[in-house]
Amino acid sequence: MKKKVDFSHLSSSPSPESAIITVAAGIGYALLALGPSLALFVTVISKKPFLILTVLSSTLLWLVSLIVLSGFWRPFLPLNSAASWPFAVLIITSVAFQEGLRLLFWKVYKRLEDMLDAFADRVLKPRLYPTDKMLIALAGGLGHGAAHAVFFCLSVLTPAFGPATFFTDQCPKLPFFLVSSIIALAFATIHTFSMVIAFNGYSDGNKVDQLFVPVVHLVAGMVNYFCLSS
Amino acid sequence: MGFSSFIVLLFLGGEIALFLIRKFSVPIDCFTFLVLLFNFAAVGVFAVFLSKMAIIVTQGYLVAIGMLVAYWFTLLPEWTTWVLLVALALYDLAAVLLPVGPLRLLVELAISRDEDIPALVYEARPVINHDQGSGEYEGQRRAWRRRRELGNDSESDHNIGTSDAEVTAPLIQNRVSSVVDGQESSVASTDNSFLEGIGLGSSGAIKLGLGDFIFYSVLVGRAAMYDFMTVYACYLAIIAGLGVTLMLLALYQQALPALPVSIAFGVLFYFLTRLLLEEFVVQCSLNLVMF
Repeated sequence: MKKKVDFSHLSSSPSPESAIITVAAGIGYALLALGPSLALFVTVISKKPFLILTVLSSTLLWLVSLIVLSGFWRPFLPLNSAASWPFAVLIITSVAFQEGLRLLFWKVYKRLEDMLDAFADRVLKPRLYPTDKMLIALAGGLGHGAAHAVFFCLSVLTPAFGPATFFTDQCPKLPFFLVSSIIALAFATIHTFSMVIAFNGYSDGNKVDQLFVPVVHLVAGMVNYFCLSS
Repeated sequence: MGFSSFIVLLFLGGEIALFLIRKFSVPIDCFTFLVLLFNFAAVGVFAVFLSKMAIIVTQGYLVAIGMLVAYWFTLLPEWTTWVLLVALALYDLAAVLLPVGPLRLLVELAISRDEDIPALVYEARPVINHDQGSGEYEGQRRAWRRRRELGNDSESDHNIGTSDAEVTAPLIQNRVSSVVDGQESSVASTDNSFLEGIGLGSSGAIKLGLGDFIFYSVLVGRAAMYDFMTVYACYLAIIAGLGVTLMLLALYQQALPALPVSIAFGVLFYFLTRLLLEEFVVQCSLNLVMF
C-alpha cells in the first residue's frame, strides 16, 4: 500500500520541457538540498569514526524530537490551509522545542567531553583541542541539517522523478520541488552552523552567541510562514 | 550450508535477474544467462566458505544473499511480516539469554569444544586512515594499532587476519585475545573496554550473523513499501539499536542477541512515523512551512 501525497492545492501543469524533467531533475533536486552536507561529510566527517557516530546520533535525536512534536500536534491535523495562523503557532512551538533539545544536547556533550578527557589523561595523550570540540559540534549540526533535508525535502521528492512537475502558487514559473530543495539547503546550513555557534556560546558563556541561534532559527521559520500567508 | 547458499544465489537470484531482464529488456539469451548465473552462484559459495578470498568479495556475496532472502520475505502480507519480526525478536531474546535456550546451549557447546560456531557471519574489518588526527582521536587510533601489533602477524594495514584477537558481536562470544603479552594486557584491557564502551572495537573485526542482516533488511524493505519517510526512520532506528547492542556487548561481555533491540526500535519508529510523523511533515512541507 503506497501512501498518496496530496498535491492538489498546487497548480499542476505539464512542464514545457517535459522530456528532460526526469531522473536527472530528481537527482538534481536531491543534490541541491544535500550537496554541501555531503561534501562536508566526505571531506571532514568521514575521516574520523567518532564524528560519524556523532552525526548518526544527532540525526536520530532530531528525528525523535520531530516525532514528539508530531505526536503533540496530531490531534489538530490536518490543518485547514485557508486559515494560516495555526502554522505560526506550529512553528513557534516546534522551534522552542528544538532549541530546548539543543540545550539538552549540550549537557550530554559536556558529560561526553569529560569522559573523553579522562580517557586521554589515562593514556597520557593530549586533551581535546578546541578544533576537536568544534568538529564534534559541526558533526552534531550536520546530523540535524541532513535529517531536516531528508525528512522535509527528500521524502516528498518522489514525484519529481516523473515526466511533469508542479509549480508554486505565488511564483508560477518556479517548480515546487526547486523551492523546497532551496529552502532545505538553507535550513541545513542553518542547523549545521548554529550548533557550532551555540556550543561556542555555551562554553564561553557568551550571551550574544547563545541568543543568536534561537533567534535565527525562529526568524527563518517565521519568514517561511509569512511567505505562506501572503 | 553451502548447498543452501547455492540455492539462494541460484534460484532466488535467478528469479530477480529474470524480473530485471524482463523490465529493462536486456538482450541476453538463456544459455549465456544460465552460464553466468551458475558461475555467480558457484563463486558465491566459495566466497562464503573459503577465507582466502578478498574480504570485499566475501562481504559483497553475503550482502547479496541477505538482500535476496529479504526480498522474498517482503512478499509476505503486511501484518504477517510485522508479527513475524516481533515474534522472531522475542524468540531470539529467549533463545540466547535463557539457560535452556537452544542458541545459548549451542554457544556454550562451541566454546567447550573450542570451535567456531557454524554459521554465516558478516565480518566488518576496520579501515585505518593515515592522516594526522589530534587530541583523543590519536589516543584511540594508537590504542588500536598497539593492540594489533601485539603478536598479530597481520601483514597489511587494511587486512587484519582472522585470529583470536577479535571483538565479536551478537551470537558470538567476545573472546579476549590469547596472543597478548602478559605485561601489556592490563593497559590493553582498559583501552579495550573503553573503546568497546564507545562502540569502536579494539582490534580485528566485528562479526554480525547473517540472519540479523536479513531481518533488518526485511524490516526496512517493508517500511519502503509504505513511504520514503518510514525508510529513513527505520534505518536510523536500526542503526541506533545496533549501537545499543554493541554497547551492551561491551558491558556484559557475553553472547547477546542482535535482533531484539533493533527490531524493537525499528517497529516502534515505523508505527510512530506512519501514524504521527507523516501527516505532520507532509502538511508542513507541502505548504513550504519548514523549521
